[in-house]
Amino acid sequence: MATERLTIPATPRTPEIDFDFASGRLALRGESYPDDVATLFGPVVAALREHLAEPSDAPLHVAIELVYFNSSSAKVLMTIFQLLEAAARQGRPVTVDWYCDPDDETMREFGEDFSEDLEHVAFSLREAADRDS
Amino acid sequence: MNFNLFDAEEQVIERAQALEARLTALAPEVGAELAELVDGFKRSYREQRRLVRVSDRLQGQLATANQEAERRRREAEDALERLREAQDVLVQQEKLASLGALVAGVAHEINTPVGIAVSCASHLSDATARLTAMVEKGELGRGDFNRYLATATDTTALILANCERAAQLINSFKQVAVDRASAERRGFDLRAYVQETLLSLQPNLKRGNHTVTVDCPPGLMVEGYPGALSQILTNLVMNSLTHGYGDGRAGRLRIAVTQPDPETVCLTYADDGAGIPPGNLPHVFEPFFTTRRGEGGSGLGLHIVHNLAVGPLKGSITVESPPGQGAAFALTFPRVAPG
Ligand SMILES: Nc1ncnc2c1ncn2[C@@H]1O[C@H](COP(=O)(O)OP(=O)(O)OP(=O)(O)O)[C@@H](O)[C@H]1O
Ligand SMILES: [Mg+2]
Repeated sequence: MATERLTIPATPRTPEIDFDFASGRLALRGESYPDDVATLFGPVVAALREHLAEPSDAPLHVAIELVYFNSSSAKVLMTIFQLLEAAARQGRPVTVDWYCDPDDETMREFGEDFSEDLEHVAFSLREAADRDS
Repeated sequence: MNFNLFDAEEQVIERAQALEARLTALAPEVGAELAELVDGFKRSYREQRRLVRVSDRLQGQLATANQEAERRRREAEDALERLREAQDVLVQQEKLASLGALVAGVAHEINTPVGIAVSCASHLSDATARLTAMVEKGELGRGDFNRYLATATDTTALILANCERAAQLINSFKQVAVDRASAERRGFDLRAYVQETLLSLQPNLKRGNHTVTVDCPPGLMVEGYPGALSQILTNLVMNSLTHGYGDGRAGRLRIAVTQPDPETVCLTYADDGAGIPPGNLPHVFEPFFTTRRGEGGSGLGLHIVHNLAVGPLKGSITVESPPGQGAAFALTFPRVAPG
């Protein structure tokens, strides 16, 4: 049986990760410049891959609320987006909400940039204040 | 000409797409597989573009942060520099102010004996003029002459005493201006040197049956100005004898040397005499502060001691006098005088 929920608390260099597969809510929050991307994100990407491998049409909501990330984390994000896009292409309803501070030009542009390859995923840019907590 | 960072990649994609078209015409199954590979390469190319943008942004932010940090560091340094300058100015002003106070004090002190000498001299001059007039008129009597002699004797004695007092004041004033350049700098054994200084004070100590104990680690070598140290000790001892044991009591003086750390020397000097009233304690190092005005005290002794301690010795001196326990002075200075 696949992982139901994967949670990793935030540290000063890594984001809070809460992938609640059972309820279809995945979230990444905080800053991301880990010393070792593979150790942090390896299990996360593996769990996502495993979850998406089983066909399902339950909706999936992904919230990304990063205030800072390094290049390796960017590559991981793109990998995750690709996995989500593949699932969406198969017919699974997937939404990605990219939260960023209204003053944070950089993060907004990164969001726009990263969504370029998403065709089937419903991607939206949101202001950090909008998040319903 | 337009520069394209990803020119090579785009050319590869174009060639791959051309190849894909040709291959699809020849072998459709292989063409589809190649199309997938070409798609993969295109995605990887887009990701590469994105990553370059991400890392450019991050480096840009880092550079901005560094510049900001550098700017703040410079600002902090400038502020520190300005603070130092302001401090120097203050120190300079304070020196001038204390010099001013000293000069005013000296002028005031010297004014009294000089004033007395001047009025005595003019009195003598008047008396002499009267005597001369009487001699010229041939009216000089024996009584007049004797009166003149009495006046001359009194006034010359007063003139002499007051001029001596003025000279003495000028002498102690000269000592206040400690001439560091002429002071000899050398290495010396502290205990031996303290004992040597006390030896020169023996006549004064013996007269009142005073005893001195010295507690100093043997072989403690100090590099600095022995002359300043001996002047300090002499002043402290003489003060104890004059102010502490005025009633003729035999005193017990103690000198103890400790080293809070190997490069710092702390010399405490204590007597068990009358002590200093709490109200006077804050003033004893001030120039012209004395409780023996008119009895030979100029109030410069401890001021000189203080100047020597902070000047040549580059240290500090403090005073304590718990009621009923005499007076104690703590002199702290670097084992090796800087500069
Ligand atoms: N060991 C002591 N015991 C008691 N009082 C002291 C002692 N040392 C200093 N004092 C007090 O501090 C005052 C200032 O001392 P300082 O040596 O500056 O001047 P002075 O001894 O009065 O005059 P000078 O030393 O110029 O002849 C003294 O007048 C005295 O009141
Ligand atoms: Mg004195």
